[in-house]
Amino acid sequence: MTDTVIPILVEGLRKRYGEINALDGLSLRVEHGEIVGLIGPDGAGKTTAMGTVCGLVRPDDGFARVMGLDCREEGQRVKEHIGYMPQRFSLYSDLTVAENLRFFADLFEVSSSERRERQERLMAFSGLAPFLGRRAGALSGGMKQKLALCCTLIHTPDVLILDEPTTGVDVVSRSEFWTILRDLAGEGMALLVSTPYMEEAALFDRLILMHRGRAVASGTPGEVRSRFGQRLLEVTGPGIAKARERIVGLRWPGVDVHRFGDRLHVVHDLEEEDAGIREALARVDVRVGPVEPTIEDTFISLVTHSPEAAG
Amino acid sequence: MFRPIFWIAQKELRQLFRDRALLRVVLVVPMIQLFVFGYAANTDLKNVRVSVLDEDRSEGSRRLVDAYYASDVFVPGPAAGAPRDLDRFLLEGKTDAALWIPRGFSEDLARGDPASVAVTVDGVNGNVAGRVMGYATAIVRQESLARLEKVALAHPGLAARTHRVDADSRFYYNPELRSRHYMVPGIVVLIITIVSAMLTGIAVVREREIGTLEQLMVSPLTSGQIIAGKTIPIVVLAFLELAFATTVAVLWFRLPFEGSVLLLAGCAMAYLLVTLGVGLLVSTVSATQQQAMFTLWFFLVFGILMSGFFYPIENMAREVQWLTYLNPFRYMMSMVRGIFLQGATLPDVASDLVPLAAIGVVTFTGAVLRFQKRFT
Repeated sequence: MTDTVIPILVEGLRKRYGEINALDGLSLRVEHGEIVGLIGPDGAGKTTAMGTVCGLVRPDDGFARVMGLDCREEGQRVKEHIGYMPQRFSLYSDLTVAENLRFFADLFEVSSSERRERQERLMAFSGLAPFLGRRAGALSGGMKQKLALCCTLIHTPDVLILDEPTTGVDVVSRSEFWTILRDLAGEGMALLVSTPYMEEAALFDRLILMHRGRAVASGTPGEVRSRFGQRLLEVTGPGIAKARERIVGLRWPGVDVHRFGDRLHVVHDLEEEDAGIREALARVDVRVGPVEPTIEDTFISLVTHSPEAAG
Repeated sequence: MFRPIFWIAQKELRQLFRDRALLRVVLVVPMIQLFVFGYAANTDLKNVRVSVLDEDRSEGSRRLVDAYYASDVFVPGPAAGAPRDLDRFLLEGKTDAALWIPRGFSEDLARGDPASVAVTVDGVNGNVAGRVMGYATAIVRQESLARLEKVALAHPGLAARTHRVDADSRFYYNPELRSRHYMVPGIVVLIITIVSAMLTGIAVVREREIGTLEQLMVSPLTSGQIIAGKTIPIVVLAFLELAFATTVAVLWFRLPFEGSVLLLAGCAMAYLLVTLGVGLLVSTVSATQQQAMFTLWFFLVFGILMSGFFYPIENMAREVQWLTYLNPFRYMMSMVRGIFLQGATLPDVASDLVPLAAIGVVTFTGAVLRFQKRFT
């Protein structure tokens, strides 16, 4: 790894599928030792963006480079540098853990001594060692995901691309998985990871909020949150259903209410509205107070206030 | 370059031998097909019931009836007392054919006048009916000629009138016209067709279904290596089945094998190009294994019915006959039968092998190109 080369560099990617703009001028870069998150709802273009970097999707415009190699022109060489884990779990469930690892090592022409050494390390940090002889189909969801990751790491890629790796994985496995990713970044690997879960956003070094094929915000989690240009009140307590009715009942045009589990976030623009909202909730059994915006607040705010978001 | 092909091939075989259900389809089912079809696909005429109404009741009429039952084709059906019984038996399916010998049959024959009998055949199964009619009228003709000859000997003056041309037909290559000799080579073709086309289709679509095809695509493998790794084990398997089916055909069903094994293998290779190509093509348009299976089945049924496997191509409408020139089964059927029964050599099969190889090259190349376009 030469540190002068940018592991992943994407500029102005565009891709249309019929009427749909899957990618609409997306640019991003990932440095060595960095975990960059692509965050956005389903259909935001995350998978298409990753597919372009892996050379699976040909962009209509713009370019993607991995380790300085163009993903379109030098696709074969790019593949040697990439570990890609697609969204759907995809290993051979009728082969054992060891056979899966072996197969992917063979595909990437990993020498047998290197493979043994690599496998030992991967087994140690993934905790899969006791299951080497088990068929992949008989592993638990979290274990499968770890095996998939091990298979994508067996050829020691410089760049790791993970498409929603934690979707459908239990909370414990998810946090273990993140520990592994953090270790990999510590070794200098560049990671591009997508997730639909906004609450995972804080775990990334930098993140890109995607909406309709473009980045609506990017930067460190703190920087992205600072893009939230509105006022925010948090409402908690047993009466939040009632509180929501009250606020909606005000029919103030600049005020939005979003429910996140056991709390409401009330977004508004003007200072005067603050008092009005508190007054409306005075006789409801809730606590009202200012709060730091989350990534999700930021995303919603940016998306609803961007000119293209009208439709 | 070649090592990745080996890795994939090894993985394919590993997976195949772990998939019990698929293994059954690939190894056991063809064996059962071979044995069951070998016995069931028998279109020899046997045990055809014939009901007789003999109103002449003479020595001559009895001889005619005996001639019927003497052949192993016909057995006695229910006895009829009146002409309408014959119709009723046919209608109710109690008999397959009816023979009505009217009064005066012997007298006509004795005088040398044309004598007539009525033969009626149940035409529901047109294929069988035609052949029953052929046999039935042949027996009548044979009998009447024998009689005429006698008359001619007794009255030398009539000799000139009975001068006749005797057509003596003989069947080459399959002298007893055993349908098994005709069917079993066809079944051999059928078996390698099903195995190679189905397995190819499934091998690719299964990876798409579980999502591993995407994994292979992001590996440094080229699509050519993926195709080779997937098809080579299938080719090996198809040849093993061909060898097994041929052995069973010769040792168990006592088929002659007059031609060269090497030529059979060569023809099979050309043919496998087609079936692998079709399997690959189908896999590029199918999202699930079921879709691939049904699409393949559609082509298989068409191909088999129009290959001359069951019905001779010469009997088809002329337009349909032209269509069969596009049918790879047709060429393969004809070559395999030729090699088994006639000892056909390369020059003999060239007229089949050349178009088959051409179809094979076009299909396979098209499939590979489509695969590359679809997956890279």
